[in-house]
Order: sequence, then C-alpha cells, then structure tokens
Amino acid sequence: MNLLRIEFLKIFPYRTFWVILGIYVLLMILLVYASSNIVINGESLGPATYQFPGIWSRLTYIASFFNLLLGILMIVLVTDEYSFRTMRQQVIDGLSRLDLVLAKFYVVLAVAVVATLFLLLLGLYFGLLYSSDKSTSSMFSQIDFLSYYFVQAVAYMALAMFFAFLIRKSGLSIIAFLAYAKIVEPIIHFNLDDQWDKYMPMKVLSSLTPMPGQELLDQLTSPTELLAPQWATLPALCYIGLFLGLSYVILRLRDL
Amino acid sequence: MANVLATNGLSKKYGALQALDKLSINIEQGSIYGLLGPNGSGKTTTLGLVLDVLHPTSGSFTWFGEATGKETKRRIGALLETPNFYPYLTAKRNLQVVADIKGTNHREIPRVLHLVGLESRQHTTFKGFSLGMKQRLALAATLLGNPEVLVLDEPTNGLDPEGIAEVRELILRIGGEGKTIILASHLLDEVEKVCTHVAVLRSGHLKAEGPVSAILSAKDQVVITAPDQQRALTVLQQLPFVESVRSEKSAIALTLHDGYNSTDVNRAMFEEGITLSQLLVRRKSLEAQFLEIIKTES
Repeated sequence: MNLLRIEFLKIFPYRTFWVILGIYVLLMILLVYASSNIVINGESLGPATYQFPGIWSRLTYIASFFNLLLGILMIVLVTDEYSFRTMRQQVIDGLSRLDLVLAKFYVVLAVAVVATLFLLLLGLYFGLLYSSDKSTSSMFSQIDFLSYYFVQAVAYMALAMFFAFLIRKSGLSIIAFLAYAKIVEPIIHFNLDDQWDKYMPMKVLSSLTPMPGQELLDQLTSPTELLAPQWATLPALCYIGLFLGLSYVILRLRDL
Repeated sequence: MANVLATNGLSKKYGALQALDKLSINIEQGSIYGLLGPNGSGKTTTLGLVLDVLHPTSGSFTWFGEATGKETKRRIGALLETPNFYPYLTAKRNLQVVADIKGTNHREIPRVLHLVGLESRQHTTFKGFSLGMKQRLALAATLLGNPEVLVLDEPTNGLDPEGIAEVRELILRIGGEGKTIILASHLLDEVEKVCTHVAVLRSGHLKAEGPVSAILSAKDQVVITAPDQQRALTVLQQLPFVESVRSEKSAIALTLHDGYNSTDVNRAMFEEGITLSQLLVRRKSLEAQFLEIIKTES
C-alpha cells in the first residue's frame, strides 16, 4: 500500500486529475437529472427513471459511457510519467517495473471505488427523492449492478493504461483508446459471428451494464447475443489481468 | 578495496549504432570516478545501463558484487541526464515522493534542502525553478537516504560559475566522507579537479582508464636544442630522470619524472660536455593531452 500512498502524494495536488474527475461527476449529475425528461413513444419517462430497484441498472448504464473519461484520466497519469521522465527516475530510485504497473493499478482501483461510491450516493439521492417504493428490500435488491459497474470501470481504465504504456504519448494514446473502443472493435463485431464477438473485450464490458429495456427490444427485433452481467464478470476479470500483464511485458522489454 | 561497481563487457546497440562497446571497468570503494568523453561518447548510456533503465545488448554488471535490485538501489543515489520531477509539485513534495520510494524518513528532507541551498524555495513548484535550481534539487534528491554511492550525470550542467564551484565543493566534501562518486562529464577541467580515477570514452570505446594523475597528468615538457642533436639524444636516453624523449624538427622534447625540472637537464648535459643552445619549458595543456587520448586508435 506504500505504492498507493506515493501515488496519492503525486495526484492530490494535480489539478488535471481533479478537473477530469469533476467533469465526470458534473456530467453524471446532469445526465441523471435530465434523464427523466427523455421521451419514448411520445411518453415522458418522468419519475419512472428513478424507481427502485431499476434505478441501479439505469444509473450504471448511463455511467458506462463516462468510463471513457476515466480511461483518459489514467492515460494522462501514465503518459505524464513518461513526459516528466519520472518513470525512469522511480526505477533508478528503487521501484521495480512490476511496482510501476501495480502502483497505477492501485490508482485504477481507487478511482473505480470513488466512482462506484459516487453512483451509490447519486442513486440513493434520486431514488429516495422520487421513488414511490422506498422499502429497503427494493432499494437494495438490484444493488449488484454497482459491483458490475466497478468491474467495468476497472477494465476500461486497465485498457487505457495499457495503451498509455504502449504509446507513451498522451494525445496518441487517447486517440488509440477511443478509436479501439468506439470504432475498431465495433467494425470487428460486424464481421464476426455473434457467437464469438460476445467475448470481445468491449462487448464483454458493455454486457456488464446492459441497456435498460433491452429485453423489450429483443422481443421486437432479432435478439442480440449478449452475456448476462454475472457471466460477463469472469471474462472481464481475465481481460483486466491481460491488460496488466501486457503493460508489464512492455515495460520489461523496453528501455525506459 | 572492495569494488562498488564492476562492468563486464557491457555493450549497448541502438539499431546499427554501437553506443557502448564492451566496457569493462572496476570502480573501487571510496574513489571519485570520472567518466570523461565528448557528447555522444557513451557516458549516459553507461550510466543508464548500470542504473537499470536501459537493457544491455550484451555484457553484465554488478553493484557491491550483487545483481541490481531494490537492495542495491537503496545504497545508490543517482541523477541521470536531466532533473526529473513533477512540475506541478513543490520542491518539498517532490522530495517526499523520492523519500517514500527510497524508504527514507521525511525528516531528512530539510537537511538535504539545506545542503544544496534550496530551503527558502522549498514551497515553490518545480516548474518555477531555474535550470540551476532544478539541478540542485536533483542533487538533493540523490542525497536522500545517505547513500554510499552517488552517480551524477553532468551535475554542473546549467549552473552559473558560483553554482559550479559550490557543487564541486559539495562533491569533494561528500567524497571526503568516504563515499564513492561516479561522475560523468564532458568537462575535462571538472574531472581533473574533482576525480581520483578516470575512464575516457569515445564513440562507445574505452580509450584510457586509471588514476587521474596517471592519465591526465599535465606534465610540462622540456624542449632543448643542441648543436649536436644526435649526441644529445643518446645522452638523454641514458639519464635516469627522463621519462620520455621525442625528437622534433630541430629540437628535442622530453618529459621528466616527478621532482625534476629543467635545471637538472641543463646540469646533466653540461656535465656531459654538451652546451645547449636553447632550453625552454613548454606547458602542456590538459586539453591537448585529452585530445591525444581521444585520437589514438585502439
């Protein structure tokens, strides 16, 4: 945990870190607040969005889009170490290459914990304000969506971290990260059988926070094959391990 | 004396460029060891390799007789190329990060800041520092944890003359405490003033190595002219205090062993019945000697 303490020493006075986290928080609040005004089939959703326990799946679905922001945050933190040449100084001063990866992974875990706790507070706030059913049982019956979100946030940031260690330049890493998540993998999905692409990283991660009302859509159109959140957890954890392992291998093989 | 650092055939290639070619040196405990060479001669590459940030193409090295690792790094304070710190953190905070990595108590920070004369600027962020101040902060960081060995890469880079003098004095003082210092520099004068041992590098090759007094002795040359050049040469070669004799166009240049000077030459020649038509002492510059070492093809 000494590694995490050192990371906190570096991060807490860093304005960029707080700005990105601030944007995440503000956008989430704004979107959750606005989501009650979404009109579907000429009918305003209204306070229906905030009903327990469905609020948890809706909240984590919205939050899943902002994982990209958390990924960018990690890219900034990792590529900074390259541009300040502090990565190299830390190795000189006594950290191993494994320590470098672990230290950043601890930051990933910390940020994911903060994001998940924030969602919990947000959910409780809007739920207690607008939900008609405020019983504890309905309040917490689907709270496990938060744990799926946690895994998803960690995985997104681990992927971003991998791109940052690979590319070393912040701008290019961010482009590569966004391009992979939003363009490259979806193109691969088109050309691949559903049976296989449900195991691709981005698809696995999005399965963790399925779109609310997906079941309804599936009845209307041909169902898309997606893993259930509980089944997507294990592959997601494997991908996290893979991204960390690859980051370590890159550091191991390359000069700093 | 125990070896602090030993390299064995250490080589580094960047594509087709041989940045360092089979370097084998031993650095003894307590020495102030200078790595001297022009820019691009492989000094920083050597330090990068032994500091574990570059991977050697071939060859190996040991610190204190062991492979590099957490334990050996704790005993070394090193600064490589530029001062590397977080620009948005204050000087003090940056040192806290280094202290935590090294496992050193934060209470040491005021002491090292004082040593480099930065205690009044400890709350200034690193990006607000001048190059000289950055260099001093880097020096302070190397002193954290009171390491046995200091590795310094161009430590006086960017400092003003006063700063250079201070840093050199600091190095000598630390060296005087029995610590080993490894210093890379392209400044001949710096190495000559500070170091006890020197290795001269050029294009990745080791050109000369040994005590500074042997490699860079700025010995004066005595130049004489005699009517009978041939006879003078034979006599000179037999004189015990003459180190080397070289015949130039119309004169003879010689260097003498320590403790002898031109008077001894004159007296000896006179005793042999040779009257000199010219006798002069030529101060040989360090630079000239350095260039000589650098130019020799091995």
